[in-house]
Amino acid sequence: MLLKLSLSSLYARLVTVGMTVIAISFSLMLYMSVEKLRTSAYTSFTDTISQTDLIIGARASSVQLMLYSVFRIGNATNNITWESYLDVVNKEEVDWAVPISLGDSHKGFRVMGTNKDFFARYKYRGGQSINIDKGYLFEDLYDVVLGAGVAEKLGYAIDTPLIVAHGLQSFSEHDDQPFRVSGILEKTGTPVDNTVIVSLAAIEAIHVDWSTGAKIPGQETPIEEIRKMDLTPENITAALIGVKSKLTIFNLQRWINEYPEEAMTAILPGAALQELWRVVGVVENLLLGISIVVIFTTLIGMTAIMFSSLSERRREMAIWRAMGASPRTVVGLLMLEAIFISVLSILLSVILLFFSLSILQPWIDYNYGILVNVEMLSLRDMYVFMTFIFASILVSLLPAIRAYWFSINDGMTIKI
Amino acid sequence: MKKSIYYSLLMSAMMSVAAAEETRQVDKHEHGVGELNIAVEGSAINLEFMIPGADIVGFEYEAKSDSDIALVNTALSKFQDFENIFTLSSSGNCNLVDAEIDINQGDEHEDEHDHEDERDHEDERDHEDEHDHEDEHEHEDEHEHEDEHDHDEHEEEAHNEFVAHYSFTCGNVKEIDRIDFPYFTTFPNSGELEIQFVSEVGSTSFEVEGDKPFIDLKGKI
Repeated sequence: MLLKLSLSSLYARLVTVGMTVIAISFSLMLYMSVEKLRTSAYTSFTDTISQTDLIIGARASSVQLMLYSVFRIGNATNNITWESYLDVVNKEEVDWAVPISLGDSHKGFRVMGTNKDFFARYKYRGGQSINIDKGYLFEDLYDVVLGAGVAEKLGYAIDTPLIVAHGLQSFSEHDDQPFRVSGILEKTGTPVDNTVIVSLAAIEAIHVDWSTGAKIPGQETPIEEIRKMDLTPENITAALIGVKSKLTIFNLQRWINEYPEEAMTAILPGAALQELWRVVGVVENLLLGISIVVIFTTLIGMTAIMFSSLSERRREMAIWRAMGASPRTVVGLLMLEAIFISVLSILLSVILLFFSLSILQPWIDYNYGILVNVEMLSLRDMYVFMTFIFASILVSLLPAIRAYWFSINDGMTIKI
Repeated sequence: MKKSIYYSLLMSAMMSVAAAEETRQVDKHEHGVGELNIAVEGSAINLEFMIPGADIVGFEYEAKSDSDIALVNTALSKFQDFENIFTLSSSGNCNLVDAEIDINQGDEHEDEHDHEDERDHEDERDHEDEHDHEDEHEHEDEHEHEDEHDHDEHEEEAHNEFVAHYSFTCGNVKEIDRIDFPYFTTFPNSGELEIQFVSEVGSTSFEVEGDKPFIDLKGKI
């Protein structure tokens, strides 16, 4: 009876109530999408590299080493010599190692020199391997393998010729030694998608006639001759390392960090990611804070609307009283109304969230490499919903108490 | 006269070349920040603490006076009972199989190496040998250099550091979902602990402080 009354009363004020519901559901959706993006960003982020035990590079902060070696953000302060790399690889604890050489680019995409082991050893998302989508891994010196994103954005296919530029933003190109696309990788959702991968020997080859960042004028070694040269790299940027036993990781890490002949740093990728995330976490808490404030604002808005509707509804309440409703019933009715509005808003916000996420998901994935998981709501969301309903009951108490006084004072006749 | 100036110039140039050639590296050292490495594999869990002396006994110089030596000894004895430092969740059913507690003060770096060696032997008896020798060797080199040339740096480096290794075997290593650190109450001077953690699931890191003296390891082992 009370329920039906309250519902029909709400229905009679469809426009005002509808607007309130929409306002609240948008603020709830804002909160939930921030939360979803936050957790998805965290998972994509930590899923970027797995099963690599250590990353080594020149002495740098762990976050910096992580950023340039895995995310290809920023630059290495220094390279490490091939000799030191071999010293590390020859350590008893080391199971496998993959060298990486960075520094050149192609149309804004980073070029990474490595060997074929990279494709077998680099794992992401809890142990998934990189698969080749089309073509094959590099066989020839001038073969290049493209990440899915590079191929898609540049419209490259197998056999497309390409020229590697020296440095990251430079006009000098290694145009005397053109490459050819030999393979395209499957999409991984990791920075590999946006990487142009060549062999380490190729990196050496394109720098044969170069010295200190510029091409030596008039000097051009014919490609045939370069092919015959010993193209063992002199230095590399970083290396991924796997150990035989996890129990020896820290010993090896200490050994590398204290390696007397060259200043190197060894990091545990997961540990460095976590460290970086603690920095990013400040921003994410800020976003979360803002969306919580927005929810509060809408709650206050809801109260304001209820207040303003009270004076319009004095006649309605008089009728309720005439029909035998006690002032307490009037309070109950208003609180029930608040519950309705909040439940309705929650439902609408969930629908809105999943609708907008399923539309935006491919776009976010494509542009930011974050795979937003459109799945069921988390337990945490449920808590938030419960708190929200509770809060809305609380704030509805204010207009309800006012209505209580109105109905006691007014009784069945309105004295305006 | 002129010649001697040239000679001395030449000499100093040569000396600076020589100085530039040797490696000079100093470990970072931060008061209030202890390091902890935790490695889990199979049924084994290893913890190694490296804590600056300031966090434990309140001073960083080599303990020479009786009272200082007493402080260091009390601290070392506290480390002997690992439950003063940390506790593993009891459901893990872990037994301490080995513990090495030590303090590095000033030039007594050697100690640390000895212990590491011992531990290595235990970890993987046969194949570590070779590398340990190498290890020792290089470190000795480093020491020589330091001794020869870097006398002033040497003093600077003479911070003491507590090093403690604990190895456990656990009946149910996967059941360990939390490690608490009574460390913060045992040593009131302690600051934070920077923790590196690795298991077959992957690696992660934590920063732990006295107001929340535990780490949550759910899903991490």
